[in-house]
Parts: sequence; structure tokens; C-alpha cells
Amino acid sequence: MTRLRIGLALAVLVVGATLLGPVLTPYDPIAPDYTAIYSPPSAAHPLGTDDLGRDVLARSLAGGRVSLTVALSATALALCLGVAVGITSAGLGGLGDTVLVRVFDAVLAFPGFLLVLLVVTILGGGALQTVLAMGVAGAPIYFRLARSFTRSELRTDYVLAGEALGATRTRLLWRHALPNFAGAIWVQAASTAATFLLVEASLSYLGLGVPLPTPSWGNVLQDARSYLTQQPWAALGPGFFLAAASLAFQFLSDGLRDRLDRRR
Amino acid sequence: MTRYLLGQLLSFVVTLWAVLTLVFVGVRVLPGDAATVIGGIDTTPAQVQAIRRSLGLDRSLPQQYASYWSGLVRGDLGTSLRQHRSVDAILLQRLPVTATLAGLAFLLSLALGTALGLLAGLRPGGVADRAALALTTLGLALPEFWFGFLLILVFAVRVQWFPVVGLPSGGVLAAFPGFVLPAVTLALPRAAQIARLTRARVLDELSADYVRTARGKGATAAVTGRHVAANALPGVVPLLALELGGLLTGTIVVEQVFGIPGLGLAILDAIGARDYPVVQGVAILAVTIYVLVNWLADLAQLLADPRLRVS
Repeated sequence: MTRLRIGLALAVLVVGATLLGPVLTPYDPIAPDYTAIYSPPSAAHPLGTDDLGRDVLARSLAGGRVSLTVALSATALALCLGVAVGITSAGLGGLGDTVLVRVFDAVLAFPGFLLVLLVVTILGGGALQTVLAMGVAGAPIYFRLARSFTRSELRTDYVLAGEALGATRTRLLWRHALPNFAGAIWVQAASTAATFLLVEASLSYLGLGVPLPTPSWGNVLQDARSYLTQQPWAALGPGFFLAAASLAFQFLSDGLRDRLDRRR
Repeated sequence: MTRYLLGQLLSFVVTLWAVLTLVFVGVRVLPGDAATVIGGIDTTPAQVQAIRRSLGLDRSLPQQYASYWSGLVRGDLGTSLRQHRSVDAILLQRLPVTATLAGLAFLLSLALGTALGLLAGLRPGGVADRAALALTTLGLALPEFWFGFLLILVFAVRVQWFPVVGLPSGGVLAAFPGFVLPAVTLALPRAAQIARLTRARVLDELSADYVRTARGKGATAAVTGRHVAANALPGVVPLLALELGGLLTGTIVVEQVFGIPGLGLAILDAIGARDYPVVQGVAILAVTIYVLVNWLADLAQLLADPRLRVS
């Protein structure tokens, strides 16, 4: 319960700060300021400045908007894709079900990061491409969850009763079975969001995800690596925000799961 | 038992075929024609055709697929478009570097993860449990490469125990200090996951009837702990396999941060230079080892846990 609260508070704080970024700092996250190169933290620049004199706080907040959008969109894509196909597959049964299970198993047989890396290379870098790559790589977990939950729901008495009353298969699957395991899906979604934040950061850090000049936590850190020893502040700021965001979603996931467990 | 093993072998072969076919398809839909990449912008269409023919790109897809497999079976992964040497030679040069890094990271995460998980699980709420919770939380949330930055700032810049970037030259022993920080960076999140699962498995075992009986008969905590560990640890093996198999590609980002010339930097350079045979070669190697390690883990679990052999 406490973890759920801490996670919620931290998530509101980080997401709120990135959304309010333009109000919180007067600086442009992209325009250089050659009079303030490599400034240490001060009242004017709370987190210092980078090699082009840009405010690290402004870049962290602007980067956060992009990184959070990419990670959350990819989570939504993986969830919708996996759950929709998983429920359908369980409802179909037979050959269709077997084929779908095999397809998702083949995707799962890939080492995750290599899969995302190859898909992004095939599609070419960019925010949308990163979302697609992570969404596809993340879908199998939701497929498995949704399929196995649906199969056990289909064996329950209430489904039998529903069928006797003349409810359609579609109605039973989507209106009755799905709400019964939605909680477990949300637990997984929060955990996926935490992971995807780190994956997006890694991809953009390698220069394969969100391309510059649009700042994201990953590519800001890529920049910062090249002058890490001259200006560590440029790496500390965005990394701290990224860690806080990832921690928030991890806590949300743990907290939700504890709460579901207790109810059972 | 034999039947089961044969079934497992079959599923291994099918999975391997599926992932290697995915790699084949993936590399062939990559943007940019390899022939124009080698020739540069000034090549005439006739020259591009000649290069395509020498690479076998003018043949039909089924023909290319057949020669892809015949190459795989013979262990011939083609020639680099940029480096004028075989992909095999590049992989053989880079693999030992990544294997050393991955091996060190794996041993470190295994030791730290299982020890912490056991201690935490056997005394829930104790000091070790709290330490484990702090470590696992940090390990799961800290961006891997950012943790690497912090290690560089403290241990390579402030106290200068280890190099900031690259491996010191002059043999395996001289290079060792260069592996320490990247191995620690890789080990932290993996140790966190292993500790988390070990702790959960130990807690499951502690509520089993045999533990209550052992305690009732006056067994010491050490004796009970040994039985619990023997039953809990086989359940961690599949995760260990995932971690070990994933490390071969999991090192990509960390190799980039620390400038370690392994497979990770090889595939990144190859992606940047559109050197697709090298991209394909690294992918084939990584995917094959990943599938193989996971398959071996299933077998190891079978050998470690006699209960699984019965069913």
C-alpha cells in the first residue's frame, strides 16, 4: 500500500514536472547560449549547463516529455495488441490458437533488446519507429497473460450460465472475462512502462531511437557522455529524472500487485 | 524421459529454425541496397549490377534462403562489406572480449543475487531483507548506462582505479581492470532480478509442510536453510539462463559506454556503416546462443529437480 502511494506520488511529480517544464524554467531546451557553457549548478541554472550552454533542467524536462510519451505509447501498443490477440486466440481455440501461440513464442525466443534494436534498424530511427519496435517486442507477454486468464475464465460456471442465457461469445469474452483479469494486466503494464523507459533511453543513447535535436532522456545522456569528465552535471540531471520515473512505475506495479494479492 | 528429451530437442530445432529465418527476413528488408552501399554514390548501374551478382543479391529469395542455410551449416557467415575479411574472423576476434565481460558479469550477479535472495528470504523483515529490497529496487530502476556513468565518475575520474574508456593493451591480465566497471554495471540489475526471484522462491518453500516438520523435530536454522535452498534454487535456473543468454546482446549499451571492443560495438558499427553481413552474423550468433542456453537450462532444471522427471 505504501509502495503504491510512493509510486503514485513520484509518478505525479515527475510527469507533472515534465508537463510544466516550460513554466518551471525560462530557458529554451534547444537554443545554445555561448555565455554559459559548462556552468556548475547555480540559482540561475539549478542543474548546470551543457557544452552549448543549454540549461540541463530545461533539457531534462523537455526530454522527459518525449521519453515518457514514447514509453507510455509503446506500453499501450503492446498491451492492446497482446490482450486483443490473446483473448481472441483463447476464444478461437483449435488450429488458429495453436498458430498464434507459435508466432508469439517465436518472438519471445529472441533476446529482447536485440529484437528492438533490429526492428528499429529496419524501420529507421525516430520516435514513432521506437514505439512500434517496443510495442511489437512487448506484446507476447500480454498475449500469454490474456490467453491463459481467458482460458481459465472460460471454464467457470458463470460463463456456462451466460451461454445458457444466450450471451454471445464476444460478449462473454470482452464484457465478462476481461474485467476479471484486468488488474493483473495493469500490474504488468506499469512494470512494462518502467522497462520501456530504460529501453527507449538505451536506444536513443545509442543514436538509434529519438534523433537529435529533439531531446529525449537517452539522447541527452548520449551527448553528456562525450564530455562526462568535464561536466558531470549534464549527465546527472537527466539520469536522475529517468531513474525517478522508472522507479515510480516499478513501485506502482509492485504496489498494485500487493493490493491484488491481499484481496484474493 | 527419453521421449521427453526428444520432444525438447525437436522444439529446440524448430525454435532455432524460426529465429534464424526471422533474421534472414529482417536483414533483407533493411533499408538501402548493399550494392549501392559498397559502390558509393558514383557507381554506374552496370557496376551496381556486377556487385549485386557477386553478392548473390540478383538471385531469387528462395535461392538466397537456400544458400543462407548452406552457409550456416558450413559455418560460413559471408564477408564484411567494409572490412574485406570474413564475418567469421570478425566474430572470432570479438567474441572472447564479450564472453569475458558477460562471464564476469554473470558470476558477479549470480553470487550477489542468490546470496542476497537467500539471506533475505530466510529472515523476512531482517537487515538482509531490507538491504536486498533497497538493492533490487535500485537495480531495477537505475538506467544501466547511467549507473556506468556514475561508476566512471567515482572510480575512474575521482580515484582513478580503473580506465575511463577502453581496455588497457598488453594481454589478458593487463586488460582485466578495463572489465571491472562494465561488469559491475551489467551485474547490478541482473543481481537485483535474481535476488527478487530467489527471495520469492525461498518464501514459498518456507511455508511447505516439510519445513514445519523439520522445525518440529528440532532442526537448526542452518539445516532447514539448506533444505529450503536445495528446493528453492532450481526454480531460479530458468531466469539465470535468460540472463546469461541475454548478456551476449545485453552488453551492447555497456560496451558503448566503456568503449569495450566486443560484439556489441561490432554490431553498432555495422549498423552505422550498413555492413549487413556483419549485422546478420552477430544476430545469428547471439540468437543461437540465446536459444541454446535456454534449452540447456530446461535440461539442467530437469537434472537438478527430480520431481520434474516424474511428470
